[in-house]
Amino acid sequence: MSLKIVVLIKQVPDITRVKFDAERGRIDRSSAEAEINPFDLNALEAAVQVKEKLGGTVVAISMGPQNAAVALRDALARGADEAILLEDNKFAGADTLATSYTLAGAIKKLGNFDIIFCGEKTVDGDTGQVGAEVAEFLQVPHLYYVSKVKEVKEDKIVVVSEMEEASYVVECEFPVLVSVTKDVNKPRLPTLREKLKAMKAEIKIWHAENLTDIINLSNVGYAGSPTVVSKVVVPKEKGREGKVFKEINEGIKVVLEELAKKGLI
Amino acid sequence: MMKEVVEKLEEIVEKDFILTKKELIESYLFDETSIPVRPKPTLNCIVVKPENSEQISRILKLANEKRIPVYPRGGGTGLVGGAVPTKDGIVISLERMKRIEVDRENLIAVAEAGVTLGELLKVVEEAGLSFPPHPGDEGAQIGGLVACNAGGARAVKHGVMRNFVKGIEVVLPTGEILNLGGKLLKNNMGYNLMHLILGSEGTLGIITKAVIRLCPKAEYTLTLVLPFNSRHEALSTVPTILTKGISPLALEYVEKELMEKSAMHLGEKWNIEGKVFLVVILSGTQNEVYNEAERINQICSEKGGLEVYVAERQDEQNTILKIRSNIYTALKEESADIFDTTVPPSNIGKLADMIDKIAEKYSAYIPVYGHAADGNLHAHVMKKDIDKYEKIKSEIYEATINLGGVITGEHGIGKIRVKELYKFMSPKSIELMIGIKKLFDPNNILNPGNVLSIDENQALRTEQ
Repeated sequence: MSLKIVVLIKQVPDITRVKFDAERGRIDRSSAEAEINPFDLNALEAAVQVKEKLGGTVVAISMGPQNAAVALRDALARGADEAILLEDNKFAGADTLATSYTLAGAIKKLGNFDIIFCGEKTVDGDTGQVGAEVAEFLQVPHLYYVSKVKEVKEDKIVVVSEMEEASYVVECEFPVLVSVTKDVNKPRLPTLREKLKAMKAEIKIWHAENLTDIINLSNVGYAGSPTVVSKVVVPKEKGREGKVFKEINEGIKVVLEELAKKGLI
Repeated sequence: MMKEVVEKLEEIVEKDFILTKKELIESYLFDETSIPVRPKPTLNCIVVKPENSEQISRILKLANEKRIPVYPRGGGTGLVGGAVPTKDGIVISLERMKRIEVDRENLIAVAEAGVTLGELLKVVEEAGLSFPPHPGDEGAQIGGLVACNAGGARAVKHGVMRNFVKGIEVVLPTGEILNLGGKLLKNNMGYNLMHLILGSEGTLGIITKAVIRLCPKAEYTLTLVLPFNSRHEALSTVPTILTKGISPLALEYVEKELMEKSAMHLGEKWNIEGKVFLVVILSGTQNEVYNEAERINQICSEKGGLEVYVAERQDEQNTILKIRSNIYTALKEESADIFDTTVPPSNIGKLADMIDKIAEKYSAYIPVYGHAADGNLHAHVMKKDIDKYEKIKSEIYEATINLGGVITGEHGIGKIRVKELYKFMSPKSIELMIGIKKLFDPNNILNPGNVLSIDENQALRTEQ
């Protein structure tokens, strides 16, 4: 038996360099290189490790503009066997619900699968919702905040899931969606040979019309997104304030008052 | 004496910026030199933090008149005791001199001495330009980087600090302020005094400002890791890469054990198969770097190398560089001294082999790594081998000189390699250097005991 593994990939700007347009409340995507969302690298590495152990194929899926193919090529270099890009103007402006709906539609079109791996969140949106929503649309269980894959067999997976102050060991039969944290593994570097090969590899592009037998187009993109962002506020950095007291007791009194005001004493 | 000097200094610099209490001056007494070889600092010194070159000029005039030793201090990241005050005197810390401006049209940054490398990089990047070399710790200050002609890993393509400094403002030990060079790419007006001061390690003047050449926006970079099963295979690959017309930003030689140790130190993991590695950073357009990468891949496999790995993402490139850069930090606790011997690049393999033989002879552990394309090899003598330190050092230096090299490629002479400088440099060269020093600093007040040992010169010469 060989497993069919799907990995959800998002192309994001390099978050360490990207600039934020505070006035318009938007990320200036042109200010930094685009790359695979760092958490998705862990998801991909987890998928490749399962494949190496039990055999199978890894399919990387991303929804995004044409240049998101760059991220998918990187996924191919890092061990994915196939890459599919969901690209259409109709998909643009999607919130997490419309995104999940579209991704789930594409996964249905792929046919049966055993495991879907995804990263716990993306560094640009930071919602952490897409994985679970995809699982709901596909009506499969999801394991979230997975920090360790303890065991994987031909029909089930055992993971450690981090739930704030507790760690749960969970066993789940396939099919399942597994959302991983940074702790699950250290993604390896791609080899130069694979990287060069991936630069020439085919990326399958699926447009909206390729999915009409599965999805309802009124539920995708901006039209299918109930989320409304009314305002984005960038918190201003607050500088340190200092006060100098000539009388030590006067200073202590003010410190105590301030602490009491904040409910700390 | 101290009290009187402090009073005079208070006429020049605000009181708050003159430190005399032991607990306040403590952090100004050392640099990053390994403890076993570190010079012993005086505890009897005054730390002054001037804010401009005029104040420095007045301090130096005072010191020259009173014959007080003066020790200029930057970020304190030196490895040869250059900033350590060894005689009672004044430490001038440049930390408050932080003004910096970028002249985009001339591709120039003008930075005061106290600007750190990290601050320079940030300002330059914000201006949409780049400063390609990475000459050391990002906490190092411009004054120190220029005074010590710092090198670093990225010298292969662009050169060392000297290649980027186009002008300096310097205060002489006698108090005069000189402006040398400028925003100029060509300048043949008289002897080049600026280049004489660059690399003089704070012995000819205090550099207060530098005019630094910049490059257009940072190029696309790619980091390759070339694993090999033997040092010989790895190092013999280096000249082949360079003679094929590939000019990497950096080309580093590292060994598995050290990369693992450094990675662990950082909480990272180094899990690439192979005993030794070349780390190659390529820069240019995306097409150029991938084209060069393909050629390097070919060379590597012809030389018996293993599968080549590539880091394209900035975070992955940074991790590799960080692991490489932190080998020194990971070894520091157990290390007695670090050398930076430099030979003609094609001889680096021979030098590494000779160091291995020396290690074997003395049953010592001598880890080596370095800037392979520059012929610049770092070898550590460990604390456990301290009883054999002098012999090991002497043999490594002899081997280096015999291969046409020098005892230091980037760290400098400072206060801990003076004896060796006198041993391996021709007497005439030493005589000329002393002559120059006397011309600039007739009373030997500026960083005495650094590079040259004027007072003990006679003794050192007779010793040879």
